[in-house]
Amino acid sequence: MKKLTSMLLVFALAASIVFAGGSGEAASSDSGKVKLTFFETMTSPARTQYIQEMIDRYEAENPNIEIELISPPYEQSDSKLTMTLNSNQPLDIIETRDYTLKQFVNNGWLRDLSGYIDSWEEKDNLLPLTLDAARTVDDIPYLMPQFFYVKALLVRTDILDKYGIEIPTNLDEFYAACKELTSKGNGQYGYALRGKSNIFKIFDVLIAGNVGNINPENFYESNDGKFWLDSEAGRKALAEYVDLYKNGCPPDSINWGYNEQINGFVSGITPFLIQDPDVFSAFEGQLDPSQYTVVPIPVGTSGYRYLEYGFNGPSIPVSSEHPDEAWDFIEFMLSPEEGAAFCKMYGPLPVHESVYNDDPYFSSGNYTAWSEEFNSPETIFAMYPLDDPKYPGWAQLHETTLQALLLGESTVDETIEIWADYWGY
Amino acid sequence: MRNRWYLLMMAPGFILLALFLYIPLFMGVVMAFQNYNMFNLTDLHFIGLENFTAIITDKTIDFWQILINTAVWLFFSLLFQFVLGFGLALLLKKPFAGRSIYSGFVFYAWALSGFAIGLVWSWLFNGQVGLFNDILMKLHLIDSPVGFLSNPKYAMVSVIITNIWYGVPFFGIMLLAALQSVPNELYEAAVLDGCGPVKQLFSVTIPYIKPTIISTILLRTMWIINFPDIIYAMTNGGPANSTNILATQMINKVYKQYDYGQGSAIGVIIMLLLLIYAVIYLKLTNANEDNI
Amino acid sequence: MKPRTRRNISTAVRVLLLAIYLIAAILPLYWIFITSVKSPQEIYAFPLKYWPEKISFASYEKLFSISTFGLYFRNSLVISLLSSLGAMVVAVMSGFALSRYSHSRSKGIIELVMYFSQTIPSFIIMVPIFSIFSKIHAVNNRAMLGIVYIATVVAFCTIMGKSFFDRIPASLEEAAKIDGCNLFQSITKVVLPITLPGMAAIFCFAFINIWNELFLAVMLLNSSSKMTVPVALNSFISKAGISWDVMSAGIVVALLPTMVVFGIGQKYIVAGLTEGSVKG
Repeated sequence: MKKLTSMLLVFALAASIVFAGGSGEAASSDSGKVKLTFFETMTSPARTQYIQEMIDRYEAENPNIEIELISPPYEQSDSKLTMTLNSNQPLDIIETRDYTLKQFVNNGWLRDLSGYIDSWEEKDNLLPLTLDAARTVDDIPYLMPQFFYVKALLVRTDILDKYGIEIPTNLDEFYAACKELTSKGNGQYGYALRGKSNIFKIFDVLIAGNVGNINPENFYESNDGKFWLDSEAGRKALAEYVDLYKNGCPPDSINWGYNEQINGFVSGITPFLIQDPDVFSAFEGQLDPSQYTVVPIPVGTSGYRYLEYGFNGPSIPVSSEHPDEAWDFIEFMLSPEEGAAFCKMYGPLPVHESVYNDDPYFSSGNYTAWSEEFNSPETIFAMYPLDDPKYPGWAQLHETTLQALLLGESTVDETIEIWADYWGY
Repeated sequence: MRNRWYLLMMAPGFILLALFLYIPLFMGVVMAFQNYNMFNLTDLHFIGLENFTAIITDKTIDFWQILINTAVWLFFSLLFQFVLGFGLALLLKKPFAGRSIYSGFVFYAWALSGFAIGLVWSWLFNGQVGLFNDILMKLHLIDSPVGFLSNPKYAMVSVIITNIWYGVPFFGIMLLAALQSVPNELYEAAVLDGCGPVKQLFSVTIPYIKPTIISTILLRTMWIINFPDIIYAMTNGGPANSTNILATQMINKVYKQYDYGQGSAIGVIIMLLLLIYAVIYLKLTNANEDNI
Repeated sequence: MKPRTRRNISTAVRVLLLAIYLIAAILPLYWIFITSVKSPQEIYAFPLKYWPEKISFASYEKLFSISTFGLYFRNSLVISLLSSLGAMVVAVMSGFALSRYSHSRSKGIIELVMYFSQTIPSFIIMVPIFSIFSKIHAVNNRAMLGIVYIATVVAFCTIMGKSFFDRIPASLEEAAKIDGCNLFQSITKVVLPITLPGMAAIFCFAFINIWNELFLAVMLLNSSSKMTVPVALNSFISKAGISWDVMSAGIVVALLPTMVVFGIGQKYIVAGLTEGSVKG
């Protein structure tokens, strides 16, 4: 017993020594300066460097503000942000993503930005889509969208020319072109299919157009409240997708993630790729702009293309002690000039109306495809059920069940039944 | 009398283990019995065994397949790591010119991180631009590229090969050291008794280094089960769940679905299985306390 | 068969097997190294190039220019060296004590605690460690990260340490005691010199593990000026995929310190694990 007591004493003593050493670093702060912490989640070394330069510019204009940037590696950043918010560590500006938004709001971590946005001079210069996206959850703007990610079809024109194949304008032509390319043999395939890590967004644009009648409020529901894949047209569309994998894609693509997709496209093995506009930086130094073009996603037999707009942008957490200063920095970051420059550097689509009108960059060249998509009457934007508690688990379930279907381990009917069941239809 | 001093000397290690492994572990185990899902934390409460039943009865991510995958992953990784590591140790036992440089090269895999190994090997195994397919095609062993990681038949084999490559050096080093501790007199006596090299191996070497074998295999088992890095980087458990093991499913639950409750529950299952394994293993190998 | 022919054959088989092991071990390293000195265009070139047309250090230049990789390298080196030293000291103490401890029932329990800690999946303790660290304001503190690192390796290092000391007879200390040494003198003057190789082995093991650790570093450090090499390597994977040029260069550079430690240490590792029993 005595031994135990002395052990505990030693233990407590050592613990206090260890922990006393820990608190030293946090407290230090320059006198008078307001210190803000900015948590970046969509990180890459180049992007982090760019944000740091932006912060330096801001700090030069606002000498009383000091901004600390936290940029964990991309794969861990959302997780770390979640844990940081959960432990009430003070953060002032965080980069919220479309699929983390609901979760952060549920847990009461985000501030309502209505007041700030209403008195912001740029408010009327935003795309209508921007404010819609801001109000995704509970019709309250909990984040200020900064970037849009919309899918388009990238085409290696040099490869298509070689085989005399036209750029497809609808999904049927697209499927046919992929199969024709594959039939040429010699390691030539059609489509850079993605088989793993968050595939459903790319998968859905190839299916939805051939089914149609989709509820813009919920990508997985038809306008009459049903699971639209569970229909004649849905089964046919899914069967065609399986056929596309078997006869139009490299067999290996079932294990392709982002990198393999890009490699397939850059090497020309698969001259078709569906991606967001931030993909271009991946081609740098490897593809000449004359080798490829970008076109809108082909429309399906329904006569429409169904697109999802992914977005992300800054939020102000409840734990922030300086929300006004934080918003001031957000205004700076989201001025049309800074916003457009950031998009040029990083790729995605800007959120301001004026940028599209004033800056030809975003309506020409590679970006023509997106401006066509935005202006086409054939485009319908639909949102994923981001506020459904089932949503976070969907990616893994979709990936494994789709892989099983493509491998022939299950049937189209079984797969649709599992999915309908998952979403509760 | 001295025992008290010994306890004091062990105290720092114990305090560190308690503070940074056992207290967090206790908190983690508590989470396994709560609806600790980051999607909504406002109604956090104890839910008994619900996390466990949810994992075991999951209709699409088949728990039994994950268990079988884990067993296959463990068994073949361990078997070949051990056999090849032992072989390497036997080869290195007799000195030869340049032995230390040579062993530096064959042992370096130990110094790599699992994450880097997974990345590099997934590239080597790539179905289009992978080195292995290229070599096999050049040797005319295959006509068209093999989907090492995309075909469920080969995916598990491929990740296990990678894991074997990573684990051979550990056994190599540990067993080499043990081999060198076998007194030469024992071999001399065996030769006098007319034992050939094979008989020497089984009647002298292995019995003598048995304690090392038992403890390295036990430790390695624990590490292999808890080592998701390679699979996570190479296949992420796919295709169609064919390489999903408990450790990778745990990452999926924690990192992708933010369900810390179910993630921790998988962690508890892992530890329970390892405990059962350890008890049976030590019984079977007749290990007494001196052996471990 | 004549004994000499037999010996020749067995030598040939041995050389052949050694060669197979060497090729299998080196191939991935060769490939990553070759990739790191290819130009970006050549990395993805098809058919594969087994040797670059022109050796290019562009990837290395990029590695040290786009990210402050040099700084991360220093950070990693300092944290890994200090933590491994700490782990070695703690483990030598506890390993020695555990070896000499004579109360057999508690000894069994202590060993169980050591072994059991090896079954803990790191992800089950990640979230709790983060919340503990937040509560005591120890996030973004490198010293605290170093202490956690010691904790993560100390159990195995203690097991290793105990096995060395088991092979060194306690009579050595008894002899020292008769010569008038107290317990600590007998350790420092008599036991330690014999166990130096063993300590080197423990150090190497700790260093390799700590140098490669990724998840705790990501969770427990915030400032980019404090980041370590594995975190930097992981940051080359972004939404836009892996930058293989910098990644391959980074993996090669990250391998250097462990190669050095391992190159110096492997002699001792083997010797350290063997030592005691040869003497005993």
